[in-house]
Formats: sequence, C-alpha cells, structure tokens
Amino acid sequence: MKASGPAFLFIRRTSSGAAPLSFMEALEQVRRDLARYAEKDTLFAAHLEIADDPLLRETVEKYISDGLTEQKAIEAACAQICQTFTEIDDEYLRARADDVRDVFNRISRAVAGEVAADVDVPRGSILVAEELLPSDTVSLNFDHLAGIICHRGSTTSHVCILARSKGIPIAVGLPINAIRPGDIVEVEDPLVGTLPIAEKVRKAGRKLFANAGSVQEIRDAMKAGADGIGLFRTEFLFLGRPNIPSEKEQEAIYRNAIEACNGKPLTIRLLDAGGDKTLPWYSPEPEDNPFLGVRGIRLLLANPEILRVQIRAILRAAAGTKIIGKTRIMIPMVTRIDEVRTVRDLVGAEFALLGDVNGSIPVEIGAMIETPAAVLNAVELAAVCDFFSAGTNDLTQFVMAADRGNAAVSYLYDALSPAMKKALEMTVGAARFAGIPVGICGELASDPSATELLLKLGFDSLSISFS
Amino acid sequence: MLSKKVIFTGRSGLHAQPASKLVQLVKGFPDSKITLSAADKCVNAASMLSVLSLGLAQGMEVEVRVDGGDEEAILLSVVDFFASLTEA
Repeated sequence: MKASGPAFLFIRRTSSGAAPLSFMEALEQVRRDLARYAEKDTLFAAHLEIADDPLLRETVEKYISDGLTEQKAIEAACAQICQTFTEIDDEYLRARADDVRDVFNRISRAVAGEVAADVDVPRGSILVAEELLPSDTVSLNFDHLAGIICHRGSTTSHVCILARSKGIPIAVGLPINAIRPGDIVEVEDPLVGTLPIAEKVRKAGRKLFANAGSVQEIRDAMKAGADGIGLFRTEFLFLGRPNIPSEKEQEAIYRNAIEACNGKPLTIRLLDAGGDKTLPWYSPEPEDNPFLGVRGIRLLLANPEILRVQIRAILRAAAGTKIIGKTRIMIPMVTRIDEVRTVRDLVGAEFALLGDVNGSIPVEIGAMIETPAAVLNAVELAAVCDFFSAGTNDLTQFVMAADRGNAAVSYLYDALSPAMKKALEMTVGAARFAGIPVGICGELASDPSATELLLKLGFDSLSISFS
Repeated sequence: MLSKKVIFTGRSGLHAQPASKLVQLVKGFPDSKITLSAADKCVNAASMLSVLSLGLAQGMEVEVRVDGGDEEAILLSVVDFFASLTEA
C-alpha cells in the first residue's frame, strides 16, 4: 500500500511542569505509571518488567557512584544496556533496545521534571521521525496519519505493528535529513493490508503464499514471511523484448527464483500471453474476441517450441540447484484435460532428454482453474493434476459473462456471487476428492473481507499480492 | 554451589515470553543467587534484560549455577524449565 502527503516532522515535546525527582523517586513514579498502562496494553507490561529489572538500577547506580550526574548516569546506563542488545544478531532482540531506550527516556524525563505533551499532527500528514518509541505513540493521534517514515527502528518494533494494524503504511530505516516540513513524500508499505489476512490464514493452519512478477518480488515476499509463492508470473521474461528469451536466460531466472524461495514451494505459471497481453515477436491472426481466443496454454500448444524451452529451463533449474524445495508448474487457461496431459507428457519427455540428471521429475504439474469448463470438469481434471489454483479474475468474468472492464456490467462482476461461490465449492470439492491441494491466487485472495469465507470453503493456501 | 550445563533447544531463541517465565521462576527463590553462563557471559538469572542479553540461540550451551537455598531442587527446576522449551 502506498500513501503520500505533506511531511510533518516529529519532535518529541515535553513541558516542564512537574518537580524534578531523584533517580530512585523517578524510577518509582515510572513503575507506577507503567503498571497503570500495563492493564490496557501488554507492551507496557514488558516495559514494567524492564523498569523492575535489577540490571537497570544497578547500572545507573554504578555510573552515579562513578561521579556522573543522575541524568548523565541514566544516559550512560541506557547506552550500555542497548549496546548489548544491538550486538546480538537477532531482529527481535535488536527491537527490544527500543523498549529499553523508551523506559530510560521516561525515567530521564521524570528526573528532569518534564511531562510528555501531545503532538498535534494535521490530518493526512506523513509523519517523519528520527525514531518513534512506544511512549511517543501515546502522544500521537494515529487517525490523522496517512503514513510514517522513521530513520531508526526495526520492522518488528511496536510502532510498526501498531501502524500496520491500523492500516497506516510505515517505512523504517530511511534517511530523513533531506525532508523539509510540508514536502510531499510517499511511503510504500507492502505489509499493510496483508497483516489481517496473514493472521487469519495462519490461525486456520493454512498457507499464506505470495503472487510475484519478478525475482525481487519473491525475495520481498519471503522477507515478509510468505510460506511460498503461489503464482510466479513469467510474462516479464517475455514482454518488452524483440526476441524469445533463451533457455539459458530463463534457467538462470528460475534458479534465482528457486533459491529465493529457499526450500519453500514455488509455483511457476507457464507463459500466460494472448488476450490483452501481446508479445512483440508474435503476431497471431487478428481476433474479434481475444479474451476467448488464443491465450494461455492455447498459445503455448500452438507454439510448442516456446513451451518446450520454458519447460526445459524450469526442469534444468529445479534439477540443478542444491535447494531442496517444491517447484510447481502451473498451466494457465486450462479448458480440457488433454491440455494438462500434453504438458505432462512434454515434461516427461524433456526430463528424459536432460540425460545427465538422475532421479524423479523434480516438478509438480497443476492447473489454474479459471474457465467454467475447468470447474465443471474439475473431478476429471483433478485426476491428472498435482494441484489446483483458482484464478478468480478470469473465472468471475467467464462465469458471470461480464467484462470486468465494462462499467455498465460491473455490478455483475462479483467474485463472491452465488454462482461463483458454487464454482469455488466445486473446485475445492474436486481437489479434496482427488486428494490434491487447492489454492487461490486471484485478486479475491488479497481481499481481507473475503478471507474467512475462502478459508471456510476449504482452500489450503491463499496467494496474495504483497505489493 | 551446584551447577549443570544444558543445551538450549528453544527453536526461536530465548525471547520475551520464555525469558519472562524464567525470570518469574528464578524470582521465586529470593534466597539463592542463580546465574546463567553462555558464550563467555555470566548473568543474573533474575534480570530479564541480562537473560535476554545472552542472546541464547538453539544449540548453545548454558551453564546454570545456584548458590544458596535448596540448591539441588532449584537447579532441577531451572534445568527442567530449559528442557520444556523444546516445543517453543
């Protein structure tokens, strides 16, 4: 998700109104405050634990007895304790340094006799901060924020989790020096919106896959915690170039993709061209209705050399890497069983031709369920497939006989209409009957309001767009 | 003084929840000094921050040391706690 708006530079505001306290008095006051907050938010229970920690008191007291002022001793102790956390190669523990710093800030403010004041941010702003600590988040009205940019912080910090749970995109680790107040800035956060889906999918014990259109997108999705790739579009390899990519070139990309998945399933969709996706080097006969014309597997079967090269490249990549994972070949626009059989035969034949490779065929073969014919014949189709994946974008358009681009019939284009629900039920039912996994990779899977229904229908995996 | 070495088996490191449980357990024995040593560091097991700062990861060796109180029973309960982390 992307957001843009005028930058508002965050400055931690305090007002001096309280009486300065000694370190021990300040610590006692902070403990009391945190105990009160802890009743509402468990994060502050963790902060209370830090305030209660003997190490905190001992470290500050040691610096005081070394001759530092109380303020300086608090600073030094904070730096020393945070240092031990940031040295550990563990994202979670590094983020805990934020909590430690926050508790020390509270104590330091109490010693100085300062109280935190609310920060008034104009509606629609992108908040730009050096760092946002949990105590800062209390002084901010999140409803006014369009996005957040932090220079310091970790992706698992409190503010990140809080912002994303409220649907606010946040970016951490960016330089902010050049940003002036009022500059229009943009934040892109692929994790916003996916979080509620991810939680529900995990809770149901299903898999959260990602859709990707490049190797970089695979890497990003894996970093964001995807359980695998449910749809790797290979069109980017073929579009915008004057010639067909060579087997070697394709093999290198597929190998990078397999390695980026690092053992998790990778579903490679065979070239899905035709329809609205035209190839510069391929000029088919003009079609009156290209969406019902030579596209997907039809185009590949009409041009077997393209299909063979792609299959060979995938097989070589899957057989040639040390990463043991599951590579899956997904066939787009399947309408008849013989289309799957033909691909299966080709895979077998090409694998035999590789010669120098031992063992069994290193790929699974499945169909994208996106035509009414595939749904109506799903039981028979499942018998020749290793998996199914429902492509709801095209399926909705074909089941409802409504062009999604035509505003006059857009009321019919409903991926959860009763007819579509039946289509999805039949797809899942046929997969269950055959004992093969069934996923969903259309836009419907990325809609958080549909997640519960899709899980109830029985999909084993939801493949969503992380960007 | 009694001590025993255990292998840390928690899959995702010693994070907030298990660390907090350990500290609670240790605080139940105020008459004993309980320390953990790992990777050249030796820390007070009653301090959450100290325990976390060990950066315990799966497969690391930890030495539990108990000074004072019913050393044998306390050592056993702390060692048991580490054994229970296998599932975490």
